[in-house]
Amino acid sequence: MYGRKGFKLISELDLYSDILPFNVGCMIEALIKEVLQEMQSLYDANVANSNAIRNDNNMALLPSVQLRHIALKRNKRCILAYIYNRMRKLKELRWELGSILPPEINTNLINAEVQWFQSYNKSLAKYMRSLGEDHGFNLTTNMVPPKTLYVEVKCVEDFGKLELDDGQVILLKKNTYHLLPRSVCEPLIRQGILEHKKYVSMEFPSYEQETQTIQLRSIKSDD
Amino acid sequence: MFVENLERGFYRLVKHDRCLLLVNFDVDAICACKILQLLFKYDNMMYTLVPVQGVQDMVRAFEENCEEVKNVIFINCGGTLDLVELLQPAESVIFYILDSHRPYDLCNIYSEDQVRILGKPDEDDEIPEYNDVFRDDDSSDENETDEESASDRSQTKRRRLNEEDIVKRAGRREWSEKRATILFNYTQYSYYGKSSAMIIFEMAWSMTKDNLDMIWWAIIGSTEQAILGKVESRLSVLEEGFLQAHVSRLTHKKGAEVDKQQQQQSAVKITYDKDLLLVLYRHWTVEDSLRHSVPTAVSLRLWSLRGEQRLKGLLADMGLPLAQSKQRFSAMDLALRQEFKQMVEKLAGKYKVDTIIGTSFTLQYGYKFKYCASDIVYAMLALIESSSKTKLPQGCFLDALDCLSRTKKDILESGIEKAKLMLKTVFKTAQTILQLKEIRNTGSFLYIIIPEGSAGNFIFAHPYPLMMLAQFTLKAYVDSSKNRRAPELPLVASAVYNAEERICIMIGIPPVCEDQPRSLFGRAFEQAAKNTNSYIDADYFDSTIIRLKIEERPKFLDALASLLA
Repeated sequence: MYGRKGFKLISELDLYSDILPFNVGCMIEALIKEVLQEMQSLYDANVANSNAIRNDNNMALLPSVQLRHIALKRNKRCILAYIYNRMRKLKELRWELGSILPPEINTNLINAEVQWFQSYNKSLAKYMRSLGEDHGFNLTTNMVPPKTLYVEVKCVEDFGKLELDDGQVILLKKNTYHLLPRSVCEPLIRQGILEHKKYVSMEFPSYEQETQTIQLRSIKSDD
Repeated sequence: MFVENLERGFYRLVKHDRCLLLVNFDVDAICACKILQLLFKYDNMMYTLVPVQGVQDMVRAFEENCEEVKNVIFINCGGTLDLVELLQPAESVIFYILDSHRPYDLCNIYSEDQVRILGKPDEDDEIPEYNDVFRDDDSSDENETDEESASDRSQTKRRRLNEEDIVKRAGRREWSEKRATILFNYTQYSYYGKSSAMIIFEMAWSMTKDNLDMIWWAIIGSTEQAILGKVESRLSVLEEGFLQAHVSRLTHKKGAEVDKQQQQQSAVKITYDKDLLLVLYRHWTVEDSLRHSVPTAVSLRLWSLRGEQRLKGLLADMGLPLAQSKQRFSAMDLALRQEFKQMVEKLAGKYKVDTIIGTSFTLQYGYKFKYCASDIVYAMLALIESSSKTKLPQGCFLDALDCLSRTKKDILESGIEKAKLMLKTVFKTAQTILQLKEIRNTGSFLYIIIPEGSAGNFIFAHPYPLMMLAQFTLKAYVDSSKNRRAPELPLVASAVYNAEERICIMIGIPPVCEDQPRSLFGRAFEQAAKNTNSYIDADYFDSTIIRLKIEERPKFLDALASLLA
């Protein structure tokens, strides 16, 4: 059946939330090749048929040409959608992890994607530099306004000494508990060295929900 | 020096700097620490919390973290040790001690600035006067100058000088003899004071920063002291009344604020009510709960075969079908569940288990979260002591800390399961000891040695299960023994701590008859070790718990017997 491979490509997107390897010899690469082969054979058949129509005026072939054409277009859309979704994921990663991708993701990219990522980086950096007064403004921090400036964190791994902005030195050792400024903690929490602890107050049990609804409301009014 | 106004003398001073919290491994300390953490969070104060298990741990934690820290807070640790001597801190570092262990070290009490003890001195503490213990003129210096001047002077004057000298020396000797007796009387008994969580809660209250969470943690802190018999029962009853007043005040305050929203009223509720003091009975089966609660197990003598029959008899008298008593309390018939309390109350007198009728605090949060204070204490005790080869004790500490927050119900549930296992092991081991009559009487004290090797006994390497076992066996022994002197005898329990290194742990508990749970074993262990020249490792903050080599145990017990005789 035409288009089945293309559909498999899309379902692959749904199955795995992370970026799969896209190199020569991988499953995805093979899959895309198969789709392309299918498209090639569809195209060849169409060319032969359309020649026949043109030369012999054989109108009986027209519906099959149209069917193949639709299948061709569908395959094309599937491949584009796959590539576009990978791009979107890369974009999300840029906002989450910063300008340098971890090696395990980097190895899964093809050259064109790396290049795209770099140019996206560049334009984002250029834009952020143009904001603010002197040093630009980092849009990627504090995507949601922080509730507190300090957070309670538990240290999960031995890290060693950490210097704060004001010059104080803190020893981060496994299984110790700290209250630290949010800005210092955030990268460490992402790296998995610290673990964020939340406290829900008895007095305001619905505080978190309330702020969420307020945010939603403000988003709606913006629209 | 004592700091009586905690807000002015402690909180406002530590507010501007980062501080280091060193917290001992016990429930009360964890509760106190949790309250402090919340206060610190309100005021955006940075802190570092390090759990410490023993003296060596504390020294290490201090050395690692002392850089740039000005304030160090010790919770339930360090009060009984001379901290300045032990830790050698820089001049600018200030120690705040919040410790329920007594007696305080005198150097801590009379330190002018560097060491500050939070709380008032108790009347019972009988702290010796400064002049009785310390002498401002440095006696050794004086001695030297005296001798020098004496040798300088001519022989003729020597005699008169000698006389002066003799008088002086006699005075000094008298003073030091008196000092020794005073010190002996002061340090003879080790015991516990007011719960640290309560002290911190009172501070939060005086700053009007208290809330229902904090009072709940304070309740758990003081419940632990009551359960483990750390304080007099009279005191814990007084504390309960005090806590109850706070609970109703806070509930009322909250009710007034959100009067319109009746739903929020049902969100969190602490109630103080008549209750049965049976362990974990809401989360266990009735039969198991009756079997593993100390008062019922002792009066029904459940360790024997006859005891089992008596338990069945009690259940029959209550009109509780056996099938029902063997399933989870929450799965029992509603009618039986509602009547359960009255059924037990009615029969308590007949079976001599009056002590199980008492009062307790219960926290209800939503529909599913309903725990009584003692449930949480048992769960936390089990969590604290759940360290194994794969899990560090510090990790267990943080689990116990998490157990206090209401959002971590799964941790609490796992703690309750662990607590059941712990109570079962305690009961089974006590049963074997009692049936085989392995309690030895030396005349001045009783001792039990938990045999090596049997499954489940590894939990007795931790102090709290061992303490619970010791208390249970002592009560059972006193109740069943014909010896009239039995209630006056203290008990020593010992179990293997580390089988490979041949080290055992030993714990001493005061006799049943004594109302004030003061234990003389702290000093006695020290003295016995000195007499036998054996090395004991008194690493725990509670001086009645020690570690020593297994080979030296018999010799050590002999020395202890001759010492206490």
